[in-house]
Amino acid sequence: MTLSDQNNFGLQCEGVSHWFGETKVLFDLNLNVDAGQFVALIGPSGCGKSTLLRAILGTHPPHRGKILTLQNGRLANADRPGRDRGIVYQKYSLYPFLTALDNVALGLKFDQTTTAFRWLNWAGWGKKRREFRDRAAAFLEKVGLGQAMHLYPSQMSGGMQQRVAIAQALIMEPEIILLDEPFGALDEATREELQEMLLQFYEENKEAMAEGRKPPYTLIIVTHELNEAIRVGDRLVGLSQYWDWKADGHNRSPGATVVYDKPAPVFGPDERPDYELFADIRQDIRQVVYNPEVLQRRDEHVNLNPTS
Amino acid sequence: MIRRPITRSWTVVLGCLSVLLLLAGYTWVSHRQHQVNPDDTTIPNWSQLYEGVKKFTQPDRKEKRWIVEDSIATGRRLFLGLGLGVVFGFAIGMMMGCITPIEAFLQPPISLLAKVPQTAALAVYFVFFGTGMEMYVAMIAFGIIPALAVTVHLAIKDLPSEILDKAYTLGASHFEVAAEVVLKQILPKFIDAVRLSIGPAIVFLIAAEMVVGDVGFGYRIRLQFKLTNMNVVYPYLVMLAFFGFALDYGLRFLRAKLCPWYQRDSK
Repeated sequence: MTLSDQNNFGLQCEGVSHWFGETKVLFDLNLNVDAGQFVALIGPSGCGKSTLLRAILGTHPPHRGKILTLQNGRLANADRPGRDRGIVYQKYSLYPFLTALDNVALGLKFDQTTTAFRWLNWAGWGKKRREFRDRAAAFLEKVGLGQAMHLYPSQMSGGMQQRVAIAQALIMEPEIILLDEPFGALDEATREELQEMLLQFYEENKEAMAEGRKPPYTLIIVTHELNEAIRVGDRLVGLSQYWDWKADGHNRSPGATVVYDKPAPVFGPDERPDYELFADIRQDIRQVVYNPEVLQRRDEHVNLNPTS
Repeated sequence: MIRRPITRSWTVVLGCLSVLLLLAGYTWVSHRQHQVNPDDTTIPNWSQLYEGVKKFTQPDRKEKRWIVEDSIATGRRLFLGLGLGVVFGFAIGMMMGCITPIEAFLQPPISLLAKVPQTAALAVYFVFFGTGMEMYVAMIAFGIIPALAVTVHLAIKDLPSEILDKAYTLGASHFEVAAEVVLKQILPKFIDAVRLSIGPAIVFLIAAEMVVGDVGFGYRIRLQFKLTNMNVVYPYLVMLAFFGFALDYGLRFLRAKLCPWYQRDSK
């Protein structure tokens, strides 16, 4: 793999199928994510979004197919959780026994020092720890939590906790970051603030690409809010079990696959989109992804180059 | 209203009042008893109690102070037993919680052993360890290991898998997940479990000392009870209570120091 390939590569899912006994969940799912993309993953409940996410995370590898990420500069199978993939859950992302600052600095510590180093080289570890804490503090400053650094998670509001959780994952700059309905438990106003925060990171991606560097943040965000998907994502991927599998020669549903994959409008962090303008996108998605009555060929709405 | 808060001073006043009532009640019962029998030693009055305290704080015919001898003997047995039990209970619980084959291997014996009453198994310890120091230590340690191990094991099983997976995504090794995530998260629960195990540990120790001891709190209480010197027995019981309380308080303090995050429910 050449360096420029590496700079472009985010994630590759190839023919991923998964089932639980008789229940087919995912079927022959293909998904390539480029570095720097913000992919919004949507789909009806029970379509296997969580299964796909856990497969990518590596805690539950798929029964068939490959999921490849860059691990130490080489393409490797993501068959266990690792440093190359970050995750933000709806809850339980933070460690209750660490302050916001130490929660964010934790990954740097795990990743860049070993237990032996920390136990045997106290002076060296002290220096490193200061460096990690400074970096974590700067990152928390960036997500607007400069005042809350020394609070424990139980002392923070839900919105603050999710900010810290996102900072904790993003500071590692993994190859891909998975967000599993990260704002699902938040109220509408907090939700929007956090969406704006994610868009700030998208701006950093754009700057990096303009300078020819590898964009630092690549994400897949699972959400059930279409407006959130449209605003945060620069690409909408719809996963659904409602597609015309009979035409592919199956006599019963083989599971969900990607039925919708199109670029999404891109917004700046300060831009409040007029969601009315996207009525047709939402309409489209409701038809193709969510409606069990409408069955189309699986590649009919998979179109990443809308000009063609 | 249920659980209506009261002021701090009220709490202190009511607490002191109950202790004073207890002392006054004792004085009255003792007084009544001495009206019936002026030589009574089963419910000693305060001057008799004073004699008793003098008896165990002054050197006896062999130039030994009972309180010093007994405290050293009982204290060493208890702390060695507790120390070993805590270390092994924690280690076994951690291994059961983190390594599934060990969990499967150890779960049946541990859950059975946790149900054996140690005081009933005294004879087994006499047979295997004699009647010396090893016996006391082994009995306390084996007595608390199953309960501690089960507590640690269950606490680990209760951890949401998310926090473990998350640690791996942050680049943690298996050892780091165990030592930096699992251990820190269950530490307050473990300290609470140790607090709860102090009671049983003292019970086991006193029982064993009563049966085979030649020095120690249990030995002294049994001997003085046979002579109906309750003016020695009661102060000894009070000292045991204070000792247990101090140990518990120390562990609570330790928990507050080590786990400042625990039980913070302020938002």
